[in-house]
Amino acid sequence: MDMRFSIYRYNPETDAEPCMQDYQLSGITSGMMLLDALKRLKAQDETLAFRSSCGEGVCGSDGMNINGRNGLACITPLATLKQPVALRPLPGMPVIRDLIVDLDNFWRQYREVQPWLVREDPIPEVELRQSPQDRDRLDGLYECILCACCSASCPSYWWNPERFLGPAALLQASRFIEDSRDQATEARLDRLDDAYKVFRCHTIMNCADVCPKGLNPSQAIGNIRQRMLKQFV
Amino acid sequence: MSRRASGLRAWLWQRLSAIYMVLYLVVAGGALLLWPPVSFDDWRASVATPLASVTTALFFGSLLMHAWVGARDVLIDYVRPFAPRLLLFVLLGLMLIGSGLWILKILYFLQMDG
Repeated sequence: MDMRFSIYRYNPETDAEPCMQDYQLSGITSGMMLLDALKRLKAQDETLAFRSSCGEGVCGSDGMNINGRNGLACITPLATLKQPVALRPLPGMPVIRDLIVDLDNFWRQYREVQPWLVREDPIPEVELRQSPQDRDRLDGLYECILCACCSASCPSYWWNPERFLGPAALLQASRFIEDSRDQATEARLDRLDDAYKVFRCHTIMNCADVCPKGLNPSQAIGNIRQRMLKQFV
Repeated sequence: MSRRASGLRAWLWQRLSAIYMVLYLVVAGGALLLWPPVSFDDWRASVATPLASVTTALFFGSLLMHAWVGARDVLIDYVRPFAPRLLLFVLLGLMLIGSGLWILKILYFLQMDG
C-alpha cells in the first residue's frame, strides 16, 4: 500500500521560512507505526530531521503534531491516519529543525516544581516505606514520560510559557505533593500560589485529551487547588 | 497559612461569588414567580426592604468581584506588554467601581423614597 505525507520542513540556517513538503511512501504493511514510516522516509531523504529513541512509547522523544493532534509517532498506527498525513512540530515551541523543537523552557518548568523527594528528617539506612493506600495515590501521576504532548497542546501554555508551569510540570508537582514520603508539601503548595504557575489553567482539558499514556493533568491540577484550599481553610 | 490574593484567593472568590449569585437568582426569581408584585409601587416596596436591599447589594458585589477576577484572567492571558495591561486594568477597575457606586446609589434612593 502507498501512503502520502505532508511534512513541515524548516532549517533556520538556510530557509527563509518553513514549508510543507510532500512525500510518498510505498510498501506500507499492516501494523506499521508512524515512526517506522518516518525512518523509511529519512532513508529516502536524509535531510529530514526528527527525534526518536525507544520506539515503544516509553522515552517520549517523538512527540509531534500528527494530523492536527499531538501524539507519539512510535505508538500511532499508520492505519488510523487520514491521508495525506500532516506532520508538524509540537505547537507553541521554538523549532530547531523540521520536527525537532527546543524543549529548554519545558525542562525549566519541570525543574521549577522540584521533581524529587524532599526530606527534613535524616535519610534512613533502609528504604522509606509507604502503605499500599499511600502508594495508590501516585497512580495516574508517576506514569508520565515527559513527552510534552500535553503542554504543547495547552493554550494557556502557548500564551504564558515562561510563567504558567504547564500541564506536564504540574502533573509532576502533584506527584510529589501526593507522595507520603515527601516532607515539603506545604512549601510546594506555597510556591505554586500566584496568578501564573497554576492558576492560568482554565480547565480546557486538551492535556487529558492528547496524553499518549492516558493520564489526566487537568485532574492533577484540580487536586493541587484542592490541597491549597484545604491548607488555606 | 497566608495565601496570595492573585492566586488561590482570586480563584476562591470567583467560585464563592458564583455560588452566591446562583443562590440569589434562584431565591429572588422564585419569590418573584410565587408572589408576583401587583403594581410598580408594590414591587418598589418589596425591593426596598432591608433584607432585599442587603442581599441585592451583595449580589451586585459578587457580580463585580466575579467580573474583576474573570476580566483580569483574560487580560493576564492575552495582554502581555506592561503599559497596555496597566491601562486596561485601571479602566476595568474604574468601570467596576463606577458600576458599584451607581448600584449603591440606586439601592439607597429606593430606600429613601420607599
